[in-house]
Amino acid sequence: MASKIKSVKTNKFIPLLSGRQKKFEGEMARLPEMPDQAFVLAKALHPKKQFLKVAEVIERAEDCKSFVLVPDEEKGTKSLAYFGAGKYLTVFEEVEGMKITRAYSISSKPKDSLEGRYMLTIKRVDGGLMSNYILDTWEVGRSVTVSAPEGHFEYQPLRDAKNVICLAGGSGITPFISMAGAVIDGDEDFNMTLIYGSRNRENILFYDELEEINKNGKVNVVHVLSDDDAEGFEKGFITAELIKKYAPDNEPYSIFICGPQAMYEFLDKEIAKLGLPKKYVRHEMFGEFRNPASQADYPSDVPETVSITVTIQDETTTVTGSTNDTVLQILEKNGIAAPARCRSGECGFCHSHLLEGKVYVPKALEYRRLADFKFGCIHPCCSFPLTDLVINVPVAK
Amino acid sequence: MSKKYDVIVIGAGNGGLGAAVTCAKAGLKTLLLEKHNLPGGSASSFVRGRFEFEPSLHELAGVGNPEDPGAIDQMFRRFGADVDWIRHASTFRLVVPAKEGDKDTFISEDGVEVTVDARMPAGFEPFAKKLEELVPGSYDSCMAAFDLATRMYSALDKLEKPLEIPSILKDVPDFMRITGHTINEVLDALGMPKKAQDIFNTYWCYMGVPGSIFDYLYYSLVLHSYVKAGTGIPTLRSHEMSLAVDKKIRDYGGDIWYNSEVTKVIMKNGKPAGVVVNGEKEVYASHFICNSHPNITWSELFEEKEVPKKQLKMLNARKVACTLTTVYLGMNKTKEELGFKDYSVFIAPDSDSDKQFEDCQNLFNGFCIINCLNEINSNASPEGTSQLFLTTMSFGDVMKDVRPQDYKKFKNKIAEHMINVCEKALNISIKPYIEEIEIAVPATFCRYLNTPYGTPYGYMLEKWDSIIPRTIQYIQDQPFDNFLFCGASQERGDGYGCAYYSGEKAATLTIKAIKEGK
Repeated sequence: MASKIKSVKTNKFIPLLSGRQKKFEGEMARLPEMPDQAFVLAKALHPKKQFLKVAEVIERAEDCKSFVLVPDEEKGTKSLAYFGAGKYLTVFEEVEGMKITRAYSISSKPKDSLEGRYMLTIKRVDGGLMSNYILDTWEVGRSVTVSAPEGHFEYQPLRDAKNVICLAGGSGITPFISMAGAVIDGDEDFNMTLIYGSRNRENILFYDELEEINKNGKVNVVHVLSDDDAEGFEKGFITAELIKKYAPDNEPYSIFICGPQAMYEFLDKEIAKLGLPKKYVRHEMFGEFRNPASQADYPSDVPETVSITVTIQDETTTVTGSTNDTVLQILEKNGIAAPARCRSGECGFCHSHLLEGKVYVPKALEYRRLADFKFGCIHPCCSFPLTDLVINVPVAK
Repeated sequence: MSKKYDVIVIGAGNGGLGAAVTCAKAGLKTLLLEKHNLPGGSASSFVRGRFEFEPSLHELAGVGNPEDPGAIDQMFRRFGADVDWIRHASTFRLVVPAKEGDKDTFISEDGVEVTVDARMPAGFEPFAKKLEELVPGSYDSCMAAFDLATRMYSALDKLEKPLEIPSILKDVPDFMRITGHTINEVLDALGMPKKAQDIFNTYWCYMGVPGSIFDYLYYSLVLHSYVKAGTGIPTLRSHEMSLAVDKKIRDYGGDIWYNSEVTKVIMKNGKPAGVVVNGEKEVYASHFICNSHPNITWSELFEEKEVPKKQLKMLNARKVACTLTTVYLGMNKTKEELGFKDYSVFIAPDSDSDKQFEDCQNLFNGFCIINCLNEINSNASPEGTSQLFLTTMSFGDVMKDVRPQDYKKFKNKIAEHMINVCEKALNISIKPYIEEIEIAVPATFCRYLNTPYGTPYGYMLEKWDSIIPRTIQYIQDQPFDNFLFCGASQERGDGYGCAYYSGEKAATLTIKAIKEGK
């Protein structure tokens, strides 16, 4: 067998070496052609930041406004990143010397972004730093910086059932307004039933828009009022019984939920009664976790305040903060900008190194990777300090 | 002037990590800069629902046994990096569904009409015996091919040392003969039957060039390293490898800055002297190792007039390598319930690697590799579930007609196509059990790897640009004596091991230059 190899001619080694350099020599000394479409798409769909201007402010309710945002060409944003209905934008602001971020679902439909319009709809939260700041200061003409569209709360035809029951509470209606628009435009193809829980008729956000959506026939809108008994409205809370009433009888259906933390706690028990496979129940994140000490697995003897020594690139600072705040909040309250997107543990954008000390992470917000545990990495947005800490955090972006 | 480092490493992909850990371990003042918030580039992981997905690693050749560690395990031991390997002793299964007009078809164990169904074991002897069983008359040529590969290993080591090249002729007489010949040419000479060659060539896609182009010497080494002692994966996804090396870089006193993109290289007296980070911060060093793809490096980090002419010519001469599309599936059924029996199945539209290559000029092709992580990692997903990932390859600007508003539909369309290919070839049902899905198309790889077309593979290993001339000409291909490239664009092409190797090599040359005062 070894002799068979002798039939291969030994004439290629030298030409291979000289040929390669000759090939280089024969080429033009200039940068190659324009970038390819994969490259162009990656940049267009995932810009580092988007610089926008408030073009219009719409009063939705006493404590809720919608802001129409358009590109701020002077600052370099020429067009808006397209998105799948259900995604959110992270808003960057500086409030009282603190550089903070919050994630808000986009309430406009995807098609509007091609015409240079996003809409964010923001409700005042009691004691909410960002929401109060935005509602008090954003007016027409103001500059606003946001992230690229982010998040995974979207209809996925290969995973979800063709029938989707969307459950919204309060300002949790915002991603569903976008989804309904996408269904009507034909950008999404599923049978959408929207069950929207509000306290009373006056509290319903987007009432007129939802009437229009309902009339179109592609989306079925059901209002549920907890405090009012009015004709044409369901009364009470969103329960398993109510979901069954609007769900198809003999076909699979998915449930999408978006609302406040309290609504999830109630609804999770109701949905459990329906016996749906896990894949058919999808939650949007509800924002920052509060009051960690109320959790059953929170340890005892935690000091009230701790110090955190943080290194970002080549700068090291030591700050103090409350153990009732997340590591991210403590940094922000001390005027240190830190990377953040979802602020709910899920996206991992704030991934950092914990070099010394201990943190508490609520179970529901535990989205770290397996190797993160082995090598001491944390998501500061959902990590509450239990001791003094030494951490290494990527620079804010 | 800001802080001065001995070495700045641009990019924390596998190559950059290998370079930074080697420099830091040698006591050099090292700064590793990475634009993303995580190390690893392709070597990472991501979480969706209750699943943690492996983004790119199929398996690592060269993990070896604990008693006889392979090249990768040895390298990680050198770094001192703590990775818990899962070792795996089979190679691949190749399934080629029958097409209309095919002769010699039979019914596979899955009940599908096929022309090839080859489940290949690890070890030279078992591999050759299995090949003989599938294609009578192929045993001798297969063993001869492995024997040739074993001898070529020592030649490859010598190629790295210019002074030792002449001794190759004496010690490995067949080296000159083999050099520059393709897999097909050498296997023909060895008298391997065509069908056996097709099975033998299955891993062509790991390097992205088919049998009529792929340099025999390199392919035989690749196959050799997979078949010899079996393969391995890190227990906690490839994120474990990246974090293990990240930790050692810090332990050795090196600095790592994440979210820190090099936006410009600062030139002084015609040579790199520093970098600008995120458009604002200047950092200086005497030496640089660059893990960014050369096309991007030259167009984004330098003024065109600063780029050495030869580098521009190289960009125009070389062909950007293949791109990948991957579908990650979290399944709400176990692998047994789904009917999976293998870790890695290659489904191909034709047994011939050149016909597969031709088919992959389109994204919607009949080629798909399906991996089931639970087959070799019993903790890959929660009880009652499993995770799969499907990979296909393509060449060129396959997304050229896709507009942003088509993007989501495009992703779902290619994912559905790939799932259909797998369902049909293996007679299994996937779609009803998908609990989580993520789809990475070339634009996705572009976002995370920042390469032309989103290629993870560097440049195509064409006949004229194969590993042998790349290795011998490595130094003369580098742009400046204090600025070396590493990563998939370099001599060994893609693959975790190759990238780490190239980083370690660039670091070794840099350490030597600094010690010699250059």
